[in-house]
Amino acid sequence: MTSSDEEYGHLAPLLEQYASLDEDDPAREALREQLVTGYLPVAEHIARRFANRGEPLDDLVQVATVGLIHAIDRYSPDRGTDFFSFAVPTISGEVRRHFRDLGWSMRVPRRLKDLHVAINSAVAQLAQDLGRAPKPSEIAQHLDVPLADVLEGLEASEAYRSSSLDEMLSSEQGSATLGELVGEADAALDRVEFRQTLRPLLGELAERERLIVMLRFFGNMTQTQIAEKVGISQMHVSRLLAQTLERLRDRLDPETRDG
Amino acid sequence: MEVRTAASAALIPTIRAVASDLAARADFDLDAISDLRMAVDEACATLVDLAAPASTLTCIFRVQAERIEVSAQVQAAESGTTVSTDTFGWRVLQTLADHVEAQHSVNGGVPVVGIQLDKRAGDLPR
Repeated sequence: MTSSDEEYGHLAPLLEQYASLDEDDPAREALREQLVTGYLPVAEHIARRFANRGEPLDDLVQVATVGLIHAIDRYSPDRGTDFFSFAVPTISGEVRRHFRDLGWSMRVPRRLKDLHVAINSAVAQLAQDLGRAPKPSEIAQHLDVPLADVLEGLEASEAYRSSSLDEMLSSEQGSATLGELVGEADAALDRVEFRQTLRPLLGELAERERLIVMLRFFGNMTQTQIAEKVGISQMHVSRLLAQTLERLRDRLDPETRDG
Repeated sequence: MEVRTAASAALIPTIRAVASDLAARADFDLDAISDLRMAVDEACATLVDLAAPASTLTCIFRVQAERIEVSAQVQAAESGTTVSTDTFGWRVLQTLADHVEAQHSVNGGVPVVGIQLDKRAGDLPR
């Protein structure tokens, strides 16, 4: 990137100097400010890429700037990577996290959000260790928090809906396609007598929703197993499954009501 | 524990919240909590569709060691009404619950339809 060399080339030595200073060196503060100001256009550029998703650009720039500060603080030139290849993912990660926090459809206290994140990762870890979904008591023990807090946190999870950005990220992550995964379940579907009415409706679903429904109801997999296979969290599977069932029920109802 | 509401779809979220709270407090594993929640949702939605106008939906939850029994009932709109078991909804119930049964009876001349389901605290590791 020649343009960035011209624009930011003078900052590279400052970065090295900043990284080499001791944490309590009084010179750090001024240097840091100079760096943040100098690299600010990078943060603004990334923030603009996330615009038009229902969030004010000013907020996004602010979040991206926080990401930039993290990047400047954590960058170590002696690792041999250049600053941009470190800073760009760090800054976009910060903006993504901001969108993830917005995925709450109800105002939930920060403490509960953090607990939700902690519970989510505890669930993933425990599911792997136990080979099944964990119980609230096991999560409480793992996180060393009171059981009442876990119950509260699980309740708060019900107020969460994934934002569209989140959906986008997780489908990026799940690289497996429906065709690759479904195989066996498809055969089971053929034996279902009401497939005539169900199949067209399943066809209308997004690929991932369809896959989850098929694996759960025709492949007889648990939510935890599906989560592992599709590459999203058990709670996300639970939410998608509940949403999809509701949608299917609405669509199926007129045909089955008379039956 | 018994929950009685108007047989209206708008109240189903309350009933399923009760179901998932009971399961969480009974220390069901997360899959089982979520399954029970969806099963109660499905059962209630099925019954509300069959209910007589202005009738009552009754849900009885019995929390046993390692399992919860749910029994949901409504007064049916007409005599001879049954819960159909060849639907996708029934398939969903069979998958989510460990045992599910459709019931119908006549109580004091009023036809009653119900769904009974059992959910264990956790699946055996497979």
